[in-house]
Amino acid sequence: MSKNSFPRDPKTGKAIRNLSQPGYYPGYSTLGQRNAWDETTRKTVVERVHSHEEIRFFSPHEAELLSAVADRLIPQDDRADDRTIPILPSIDERLYKNQLNGFRYEDMPPDREAYRLGLHAIDEMSQQRFQLTFIALPVFRQELLLKSLHDGKPDPPHPAWKHMPVHRFWAMLMEDCATAYYSHPWSWDEIGFGGPAYPRAYTRLENGLPEPWEKDETRYEWNAPEDSVSEIDIAGAPPERSPLHGHGGTH
Amino acid sequence: MKEHVHRLGPMQVLPSPMRHYKPEEIVDYCIVGVGSAGGVLAQRLARAGFSVVALEAGPFWDTEKDWVSDEKGSHELYWDDLRITGGKDPLALGANNSGKGVGGGSVHWAAFAPRFHPSDFRVYSQDGVGADWPMSYNDLKPYYELLEQEIPVAGPAWFPWGNPHGYPYGPHPMGAVGDVLVRGCTNLGIRSVAGGPVAILSASHGDRPHCIYRGFCIQGCKVGAKASTLITHVPDAITHGAEIRAHSMVSRVNLGRDGRVTGVTYFDREHRERVQHARAVIVSGYAIETPRLLFNSACPGHKHGLANSSGTLGKYLMAQAGNVVAGRFDQLIRLYKAPPAHALSEEFYETDKQRDFARGFAIQTVGPLPIAFAKQMVAAIGAWGWGLRRVMMDYNHWATLGVLGEILPWQDNRVELADEKDQYGLRVAKVTFNLHDNDKKLIEFAKQKVMDVMRAAGAEQVVQESRYAHLVGAARMGSDPDDSVVDKFGRTHDIPNLFICDGSILPTQGSANPGLTIQALAARTADYLIKQGESIFSSNKRDLNEPGIRYDLSPPYTRFKGNPRIA
Repeated sequence: MSKNSFPRDPKTGKAIRNLSQPGYYPGYSTLGQRNAWDETTRKTVVERVHSHEEIRFFSPHEAELLSAVADRLIPQDDRADDRTIPILPSIDERLYKNQLNGFRYEDMPPDREAYRLGLHAIDEMSQQRFQLTFIALPVFRQELLLKSLHDGKPDPPHPAWKHMPVHRFWAMLMEDCATAYYSHPWSWDEIGFGGPAYPRAYTRLENGLPEPWEKDETRYEWNAPEDSVSEIDIAGAPPERSPLHGHGGTH
Repeated sequence: MKEHVHRLGPMQVLPSPMRHYKPEEIVDYCIVGVGSAGGVLAQRLARAGFSVVALEAGPFWDTEKDWVSDEKGSHELYWDDLRITGGKDPLALGANNSGKGVGGGSVHWAAFAPRFHPSDFRVYSQDGVGADWPMSYNDLKPYYELLEQEIPVAGPAWFPWGNPHGYPYGPHPMGAVGDVLVRGCTNLGIRSVAGGPVAILSASHGDRPHCIYRGFCIQGCKVGAKASTLITHVPDAITHGAEIRAHSMVSRVNLGRDGRVTGVTYFDREHRERVQHARAVIVSGYAIETPRLLFNSACPGHKHGLANSSGTLGKYLMAQAGNVVAGRFDQLIRLYKAPPAHALSEEFYETDKQRDFARGFAIQTVGPLPIAFAKQMVAAIGAWGWGLRRVMMDYNHWATLGVLGEILPWQDNRVELADEKDQYGLRVAKVTFNLHDNDKKLIEFAKQKVMDVMRAAGAEQVVQESRYAHLVGAARMGSDPDDSVVDKFGRTHDIPNLFICDGSILPTQGSANPGLTIQALAARTADYLIKQGESIFSSNKRDLNEPGIRYDLSPPYTRFKGNPRIA
């Protein structure tokens, strides 16, 4: 990804960039614990880090466009190039294999069609609003356009959103991007997630205490890039339309 | 050559060899689906000496080879084939509520194992809504007690709600999320319990080790501490001669000229069509696949589906309200440790005349791992971009509690067939779901109450996401053949040797997780079938007397082990 929209240190005003490990757990490495994991889990997680799947579902243009979109949905400008988590290959693989999440909303086209339709719409909206392809837009304008989808008010309107509800497309896109990013062990290091713990076990269950091999939190302040519109805005969040995404992983 | 060892957890090995019936053999019972109910039924019927073939659409898991401590890597545990979902409040399916593979949903349940309350069996009599069961709590109580020992269930010595009781295995040590629930409830004067009731071993048990608190319960328990029928009942079924045939997708139940079923047609692993003949068939496919199979089995004389003369098949589908309330705390929580199912309160379970709706809800801990939590933040606060990165960097500061709210059975919430077909050429299910007025009021009240609890526990920021959990109904039991599909033993009103036994037969669902109740019902149906003996295979007479509980059919290690302190 191109990296030119950096979060900043509020005290020094300096760009936060080229980090091998963002987040508040410096020196913590889940992969460093891999010898304590069972063999099947180790293989699954390590392969995820080293795999270089070729793109088989998306066309080269679609792939480039989706990459640019994913760069804004889960921005990684603060991460070093060699520590950037690939998003596109995970989505491409799901669609190439046509792996479903077990259901389709009756008002949605099949996932493959939905992606093609949505990406095409994003590109045309960009042309119409800014007279540039989405890929060529400055980051700020890419965010503005995506935020209109996030808000459920596509600007400019596009016929694609008459064929599929924009909030459902957005939820699917966010789910796929979040799945790619937060399944990667580098993101676990970033958020301080303990990761696999079989057969070793967790032993300090109360009070948020770290295991001997986990790290305590060391917080730093950071601001999103000055012109970013993707910071959390609870008052301005779109109305909840339940349920938006696959609900695996809770009950 | 080294013999392949099929492992079920680190200590347990699948009994070998398993009996294989020849294709032309007619077995006593063919069970469709080896989940919470199918596993228990196969075990009981095999122990009683019946010949049993249980067909399962998914794989036969080797837990050491097939399962991982990883969210993304666990997607094969779920029924991920296409289904269409719609209505005004469409349900998410797949990983949320549908299992595939031997053990079914019990492989990926969080394993909360509370009983239903006595009031759940007479909702219509008490509140004028929903339905009454054709049986009472007392009919099921001995089976609750028995299954709590067989599974077994760990929990508090004193569980104060419903019919108060204690648990055979001691409670689990406290995790930080459980602590939040207890603290918040206590500060508001609400009673709570911690450390269970949950079908997870707090101490080793036979050839199963105790819990190691790694938090991946719903990704399949590699440890073997969390109960699934894969490890609690299926091994004993095989020891006693049952055949569990995995990768077998049943396409229809076959009907003979005498109006009795003759067996099933299914697709094997290579998608070849096969037939299994049986003297009786039990469908245990859960609330979507059970009605789908019976609809797909329509034939002359049953053109709206088998066992559907009442037109009730597929209707009265229920999910529970499962709103997740997340609270951010100044101190660290690390919600990924300890079982997600950990502490709860059933203080609001019953109808309260002070409120403007019938029935109630439970408050329970939940433990979303990073991907699930990220999706919740996307839904709850519209997180994306830098906002998502920021809230996720605080993952360890959040605790999550779930509403488990009773949604009433409504006729328009239903399973039908869609026009689309699956990989076998079978029409897929279409699920329609709408919340009604009582449901909406209940959910709003429950959501606010759980948010209050979270604040009372000290959370500085509290957000919530609307969602649903579990699926039951769609082939309900009842005493009136005109508005129910099966009788109180799971026997279809229409076809004397066709049974349904799974979550789909529940007339109402309470605010309790359904897994234990489904297994208890399966054990009771098994006792009934055993008591009826050969007459099931030849007679059309319907005996509705309770069979009397059998205490000699439990899996090994479980009998008289772990006696509850207060029965």
